[in-house]
Amino acid sequence: MDIKKLQFHYKHSGPIIRDLSTSITAGKVTSIIGPNGSGKSTLLSLLAKNMLPSAGQIVWNGRDLQQFTPKELARQLAVVHQQNEAPIDLTVEKLVEFGRLPYRHLFSSESKEDHEAIAWALDCTGLAPLRKNKLVELSGGQRQRAWIAMALAQKTNLIFLDEPTTYLDIYYQIELLELVRSLNEKLGLTIVMVLHDVNQAIRYSDEVKVMKQGQIMAEGDPKEVITSELMQHVYDVRAVIREDEEAGLYIVPLASL
Amino acid sequence: MKKWVSFVAALCLLIVAALYSMSTGSIKIGFGELIRGLWMGDNPQVDVIRDLRLPRIFVAMLCGAALAVSGVLLQSVMRNPLADAGIIGISAGAGFASVMMTAVFPALFYFMPLFSVMGGLLACFLVYLFSWKSGLQPLRLLLVGVAINAVFTGFNQVFGALGGSASSIRQTASSSFNMQTWGNVDILLIYAGLALIVSVFLATWCNMLALQDRTASNLGLNVMRARIIISVTAVLLASVATAIGGLIVFVGLLVPHISRQFVGSDHKILIPFSAAGGALLILLADTLGRTIIAPIEIPASVIMMIIGGPFLIFMLLKGDRVYGH
Repeated sequence: MDIKKLQFHYKHSGPIIRDLSTSITAGKVTSIIGPNGSGKSTLLSLLAKNMLPSAGQIVWNGRDLQQFTPKELARQLAVVHQQNEAPIDLTVEKLVEFGRLPYRHLFSSESKEDHEAIAWALDCTGLAPLRKNKLVELSGGQRQRAWIAMALAQKTNLIFLDEPTTYLDIYYQIELLELVRSLNEKLGLTIVMVLHDVNQAIRYSDEVKVMKQGQIMAEGDPKEVITSELMQHVYDVRAVIREDEEAGLYIVPLASL
Repeated sequence: MKKWVSFVAALCLLIVAALYSMSTGSIKIGFGELIRGLWMGDNPQVDVIRDLRLPRIFVAMLCGAALAVSGVLLQSVMRNPLADAGIIGISAGAGFASVMMTAVFPALFYFMPLFSVMGGLLACFLVYLFSWKSGLQPLRLLLVGVAINAVFTGFNQVFGALGGSASSIRQTASSSFNMQTWGNVDILLIYAGLALIVSVFLATWCNMLALQDRTASNLGLNVMRARIIISVTAVLLASVATAIGGLIVFVGLLVPHISRQFVGSDHKILIPFSAAGGALLILLADTLGRTIIAPIEIPASVIMMIIGGPFLIFMLLKGDRVYGH
């Protein structure tokens, strides 16, 4: 996915994304990080066509993103949002079935392919035993996995996750990021996620894009990109970077500036 | 599976209620006599029932079904559990347009359903226009709807006071199920029947909208197009029901909520079940209204207000199963 001179602003307000050009590498896990209001979630929304850019172009598979019909795009790109709403009596299985709608017509009934994709998505996320449970009966981590299962059922090559760990306990955060990692490694899915936690981004992504004020300040291999100078410049914090044999590279913020 | 059983049960109940309603009232008649009379056409009492009571029963059922389904569709597309054509001004807009047109052009009486659909669409458009602020906020939408409702109700009464006899019939919307003819049944069957069939096919879109616009869009739904089509269908149902049956509030609110308790929130079953439930509710209200203190009739809309208000409070107190939370 290539992004060329992308700009976005709401009516009567200043720019949120300014003249941003970058690209997403296929088959990799890319994390977008940055302080609040840096435009990272907005960028993800633009890439998912949930919002339309004010200027610039997003090219995916050689075509402008705006030329895809909603259905075409839904067969290529799945999105898991940060906060989701669903009817209270919706079961895991019914939710995952929604992921097959991009392949259905008004009068078509569920095909064998649909059944297989649903079963597969439930297996991948470890939700097969809970398929008949209602979403409200699940823990926060299981519920987030159910939404990922719906995205998987779309059988896309590209999955976007907007702050997938924000409302979860630390156990479920790690569990979820390991799931994301394994989806990338086993299935070769291209994954783009917005993360809040810099250490999680370092640990679970192949590439990071560090944003501030609607622009990308640095991008590439997290081990090279994340430095104490960058942390100071982007987040206004003094931080030290340490390397540990078991934990790998990690940062410890020390003081705000 | 169990859910479709409840749907069939509701249908059976509706048929029983319709038969009972046919046989009771100012002319009382046994079932055997009624069916033989309808079949043979040799009983003058049954002829009266066929000409006067039967169209009334069909109008009550079709109006109830139309209003209930219109409520389901509006609640889905506006993502608001309190959306109802009677509350957010769509019925008032439809009523106003038909009153105005019959007062100004009495000759166009037979095009009244069309005018009322236009009035309903205008009200719905205004509600969207004033409550849309980069998305629909539930409270804002409701307040705008109440305001629009007040304005159209006011205009309605002005025209009712100014107009001649044609409008005074419509002005007291409450006297609505009197004087129904087979012609009215035909109009309802064509407009509302068609819209009811369309709404069954809108079920999947309604289900997708329940997951929020952005998720629906990521699943391949053209959200704007779906929103317009669902809204227009809902307005059509409510407007035609208002044009023929008068202003009845609460049906679009009450029936979908009760139906969700029975069959859940999947619109594939919720829409047909609500249609049956709405038909049953209005038929019972009308039958009760014309028999309880006969020969005085209590209009169905009044019965609906009396049972609807307490029921709404009961639903709110029970609270935990309100849609979307």
